[in-house]
Amino acid sequence: MDMRFTPDELAFRDEVRAFLKAELDPALARKVRLHHELTKAEMEGWHAKLQAKGWLAGNWPTEFGGAGWTPIQRHIFEEESARAHAPRIVPFGIAMLGPVLQKFGSKDQQDHWLPRILNGDDWWCQGYSEPGAGSDLAGLRCAALRDGDHYVVTGQKTWTTLGQHANMIFCLVRTSTEGKKQEGISFLLIDMDSPGVTVRPIVLLDGTAEVNEVWFDEVRVPVANLVGEENQGWTYAKYLLTHERTNIAGVGFATAALDNLQRVARAQVHRGQPLSQDPLFAAQLAEVEIELMAMSTTNLRMLSLAAQGQAPGIESSMLKIKGTQIRQRLDVLTRRAYGGQASALPTLGNEGPDDAEEALSATATWLNNRKLSIYGGSNEIQRSIIAGALAKG
Amino acid sequence: MDFQLSDDHRMLQDSLRGILTRHTGEALWPALVEAGMPAALLTEDEGGFDGSGAAIALIFQELGRAGVALPLIPAMIAAAAFAQAGQHAEDGAALAFADAEPGTRHDRGVAISVQGDRLTGRKTMVAGAEGAAAILVTTADALWRLAPDAPGVTIRPYPMLDGQRGADLILEDAPATRLGAIADFGGPLARGVLAHSATALGAITAAVDLTLDYLKQRRQFGQPLIAFQALAHRMADLAVEVEQARSAVTNLSGHLDADPALRDRHVQACKVTVGRVARLVAEDAVQLHGGIGMTEEYALGGMIRRLLAAETAMGDADWHLERFARGEPAFA
Repeated sequence: MDMRFTPDELAFRDEVRAFLKAELDPALARKVRLHHELTKAEMEGWHAKLQAKGWLAGNWPTEFGGAGWTPIQRHIFEEESARAHAPRIVPFGIAMLGPVLQKFGSKDQQDHWLPRILNGDDWWCQGYSEPGAGSDLAGLRCAALRDGDHYVVTGQKTWTTLGQHANMIFCLVRTSTEGKKQEGISFLLIDMDSPGVTVRPIVLLDGTAEVNEVWFDEVRVPVANLVGEENQGWTYAKYLLTHERTNIAGVGFATAALDNLQRVARAQVHRGQPLSQDPLFAAQLAEVEIELMAMSTTNLRMLSLAAQGQAPGIESSMLKIKGTQIRQRLDVLTRRAYGGQASALPTLGNEGPDDAEEALSATATWLNNRKLSIYGGSNEIQRSIIAGALAKG
Repeated sequence: MDFQLSDDHRMLQDSLRGILTRHTGEALWPALVEAGMPAALLTEDEGGFDGSGAAIALIFQELGRAGVALPLIPAMIAAAAFAQAGQHAEDGAALAFADAEPGTRHDRGVAISVQGDRLTGRKTMVAGAEGAAAILVTTADALWRLAPDAPGVTIRPYPMLDGQRGADLILEDAPATRLGAIADFGGPLARGVLAHSATALGAITAAVDLTLDYLKQRRQFGQPLIAFQALAHRMADLAVEVEQARSAVTNLSGHLDADPALRDRHVQACKVTVGRVARLVAEDAVQLHGGIGMTEEYALGGMIRRLLAAETAMGDADWHLERFARGEPAFA
């Protein structure tokens, strides 16, 4: 056993740090740190810089134009990027669709879609959840009926993150109502510019509109856009969710949030001393830091298993629960550290007190990060997955 | 970064597991000695052949899982401390470690005082004190070597919570040899914390496995207990926390030889995490079992008692959390 990074890994970390120092605009990093909404151009610009370096798709094999990083390299990149407040890589094309196409897509689909993800020609979003299909995702009803060499899609998707920027959406659609509900689902790629597609933003508690509702009204989709086999979409969906969860621990985000909280706690005054020296607050801060120290190693242990080709199973569910608990706890403490100033209303934008911007971002983060324990399979769903596996084992 | 056991450590683990299935009771100790387990806990300089964090963690996890109650931890700490002070103990000598005191939570020097090179006062829960060739004793800020047959030394033995024999050590102007400041012996003491934590981790996994088996077998309302979501989700939470405890032990075992400030943060984090999880598992394992979990006859009982004992060994979670929060060394 050796917990140190290898010389190669350390050299890679240095290279990542140097890249971030050279390429990350401080004004952009500040927006990320304060959880301001980024423009589409800002996100695309960051993607382009990464792609120029060959680092946009660290998780893809080199044969598809990815960097072919080891799990440890990906971890290093994610942690360093988060701590530097770099924009996160928009996951829908790179982290989600890419691996599915590489595993289940046809050669034509791979040749056509994968380069377009890397060069930014397409912005993908994810059409999974529906108003009636949240945790019970397989209960989805958005229907795709075969009509010659097209499917005709009618139905509604919701919680579509950054769908307002997307020109393409990968969707789970119902192609059969016979048998088990999981057996009538297909995985379809739909052009958002098709007639019959409507996108409407959903404003959230923090005032942002990062998620959307998407309607399909008899939208015609070429059969060539079916991934894999008809009615086998559930298999691909589960594969995608597994990939979605490999960085679900969010160690980098939690580390950045801890850095920030420690900075705030040193600056805020309590009984004439820095808040960081208050025994009660310091103990709470220490508790969450210690939780993160352990979780970070749990994450590395799981990555190390993944590096040996062992597929993530309930480990990713465990990391999702613990990782989101830690991040939400950090959000609570950060808000609390700001005291009364944290009552500024995030949706007011610049109308609050001049110096309340940071406190305001703490509240916005608290509100926005309620999503962490809900999305990607709620933490309760993860507990059921873990318990189900334990019951069988 | 590599979390795999080395080939040597895998062989050590296999050998230990074999011994633990073949030997129990009185026969266990000689079998462990013959297989070189005590020596595996010490470095070559200390008279052993390994002494790495990985070896300590794996040995005590196995012993903790099997519920072995032998005073190996005090012997290891004392042997390492004596060796560091240039006073090697005889090979295989029984050694004890007197740390806890009555009248205080985990402070040192409350019930014991020093005059010149003589100690007066009381230490408690001294595992392996009976028959020890030498005892390592802590005072407010120093470590001492004490001969049990020295004048002014009284040993009052009794059984302890974890199944071991312990004793009160009563000292009246007893002569002892000062080894040095506690602050300079962070290494041997950190290894003690690792050993206690790994023992607890072994007991944690044993208790969680037993609880899971019970939930799968026991039926109520026509269903196995694991089919009830309230219980299933508690079981899932336990599984998550077990991984936290495992990582805390991994972190400490991987940082035993790191610079003292970093090593001590992992000592403290390990005690906080494993202590918290040990108590959670002790409570939830009983609750998930129901009444059967409270009976002396059932196998869970010994695990619960060992978990409680591990929680307070060498400072509990709160004590170490405070020092972590203040940025203080683990031992001073």
